[in-house]
Amino acid sequence: MPPSFKWDSLKRWETLLAVVLAVVVIFNISQSSVFLRVDNLVNLFMLHIEKIIVVLIMTLIIINGEIDLSVASVMGLGACVVANLYERGVSMEAAILVGLGVGALCGIINGFWVAYVRLPSLAVTLAGLIAYHGIAEMLVEDRSIGNFPDWFNQLGQKALIGPLPLSLVIFFILFIIFAAVLHFSAFGRYVFVIGNNREAARYSGVRVRQVKMMLYIMSGVIASLAGILFAARLGAVRASTAEGFELDIITVVLLGGVSIFGGKGTLAGVGLSIMLVLCLRNGMNLLSITGNTQSTVIGVLLIFSVLIPNLTQDFQGFWNRRRMIAK
Amino acid sequence: MKKSFLILIILTVMSLSLVSAQDEAVVATPGETVNMILLPKFLGIAVFDQAHQGAEEAHAELQNAGTLEFLGPTQENSAAGQVEIVTTAASRDDVDAIMISNNAGDQLGPALEAAKAADQTVVTWDSPIPSGDSEDLFVAQVDFDQTGKVMADMALSILGEDGGKFAVLSASPDAANQNAWIASLQETLEDEAYASLELLDIVYGDDVTETSYDQALALVDKYPDMELIMAPTTVGIAAAAKAMQDEGLCETVKVSGLGLPAEMLDFTLNGCAPEFALWSFVDLGYVTYYATYLLATGAIEAEEGVSFEAGRMGVYTIEKDPTREVGLRIVMGPFSVYNIDNVEAAANPGGAEMTPEATEEG
Repeated sequence: MPPSFKWDSLKRWETLLAVVLAVVVIFNISQSSVFLRVDNLVNLFMLHIEKIIVVLIMTLIIINGEIDLSVASVMGLGACVVANLYERGVSMEAAILVGLGVGALCGIINGFWVAYVRLPSLAVTLAGLIAYHGIAEMLVEDRSIGNFPDWFNQLGQKALIGPLPLSLVIFFILFIIFAAVLHFSAFGRYVFVIGNNREAARYSGVRVRQVKMMLYIMSGVIASLAGILFAARLGAVRASTAEGFELDIITVVLLGGVSIFGGKGTLAGVGLSIMLVLCLRNGMNLLSITGNTQSTVIGVLLIFSVLIPNLTQDFQGFWNRRRMIAK
Repeated sequence: MKKSFLILIILTVMSLSLVSAQDEAVVATPGETVNMILLPKFLGIAVFDQAHQGAEEAHAELQNAGTLEFLGPTQENSAAGQVEIVTTAASRDDVDAIMISNNAGDQLGPALEAAKAADQTVVTWDSPIPSGDSEDLFVAQVDFDQTGKVMADMALSILGEDGGKFAVLSASPDAANQNAWIASLQETLEDEAYASLELLDIVYGDDVTETSYDQALALVDKYPDMELIMAPTTVGIAAAAKAMQDEGLCETVKVSGLGLPAEMLDFTLNGCAPEFALWSFVDLGYVTYYATYLLATGAIEAEEGVSFEAGRMGVYTIEKDPTREVGLRIVMGPFSVYNIDNVEAAANPGGAEMTPEATEEG
């Protein structure tokens, strides 16, 4: 397939996302006078901020042709390490540093098995999902640890710059950094090249292993950071903190038009997909649609997001063949 | 002489009217508009549906022109989901009051503060905000300090005077009501009268049937000499009783705690759970609705000593909550203890009226 075709289909996917997003936004505005208010727009991000921070690094990992199923467990583990250390009398600042370090360590472990031993990332990070969650369970057991220092809780809950809380500021900064790295740097090009064809990348002198290792370490640190921010927002930590978030995170990335097979995707598409899911959830909340109905609507949307690109490709293939036969 | 007598009479009348004004229970004016949200810990279990039913009954009685929405998160997402629903409700213009059974510990604090800042009435029911901040009033189903004694008494009555070892199967470690009841149980156990009872462990089944079932069996494996599982949660007690029944353990390990008669009927009749207690969740939803309606319409203030009438349930007086450092409460009460003698009648309230005694009296 010529490269121009891929580019076009991507363009079309993002246009489609933008159109659907516009429809959802217009619908929300028409249904609720609250939707466009600043506090609601901040809420819209804040209620899922931890997930969308991890979505950014997950985008790079999936474009790279890998997956990290352990992110939610690393989020939980980061939060549990911080809570456990703080409870033992370690200062909160030091506890946070150790928490981030543990995240990096998880990333190194994942990266080692994937990049150097060349085991499938699906299996490696699935093991990570179970193991890191297990450690979190051992640290916090069946309890809920809270009573963190005020400054820590305020960091997660109160506005820091204008109406924006810290985690929202972190999200925007990371979004810009990741967009720049992925689309305008040599590292970003390597991420795509490896995702397209690992062997070809290796023979052209790309340091495949280092790139993969870097991505997994970043994933570990960012997931742990997100978990700690989650703890600050909720003011309490349980072993089950962030449990199951990995699926939400990966589905947002896929809805953004990133190919699960690697090599394809843009951060713009993922940005649109984040906005779409957030606006949809917020709109449903404002209309008092909660619980399972909300999950179902999002689920149906995701099924379509996977079906439509595949169906259009199949249809196009079918059409091309027909034309060739006709000729 | 006459004058002073007159003054005396006036003073007496005034002081009498003062006293009576204080004691007089405020009665709700029907027909006002209050948009309310009833927020359970999560959707999908019977007791919260019953609370909803009670709230709907009060909603109809008071002819509220506003709406009563029953919103809740899914079970797996309870804490974060409650935060999400309250946060969104706080930013909505068309919400006047939130009635919540807290399953998120103090994590709901910031979201509820936003709701209060938006002039919304916040009433907790079933499970309060532990810190007592950011809520107007807590409608306690029973006196929380009493719960421990009721559980300890049931344990003694099941195990006999020589007592035995038991474990607690709770819901989630963030549920303020559960934690308060377990604390009250532990306090009760220090009393000499209960010296024969030994609490082995406290485990959490998260109010998920499968998890509670597994936790109950894990307890059996871990403590071979355990004779009783005490589950102060309707999900936990039914799951534990089912687990003991399935494994044929009902002779050695009994189950007790807080349960719904309809769900516990079989287990009580076959001896797996010979005795358990509960209150009416329908009434709890009903009383909560009345209190919230009165607070939201400004008919009463959330202050110590204020009395109000909650429809068919009678008069309640707001008091300081002795189970928390800060916070006001009303106590609905009372406990009903169920056993083989009365569980069938409670499980089929329609059928109970058909018993011969009832007809004779009628």
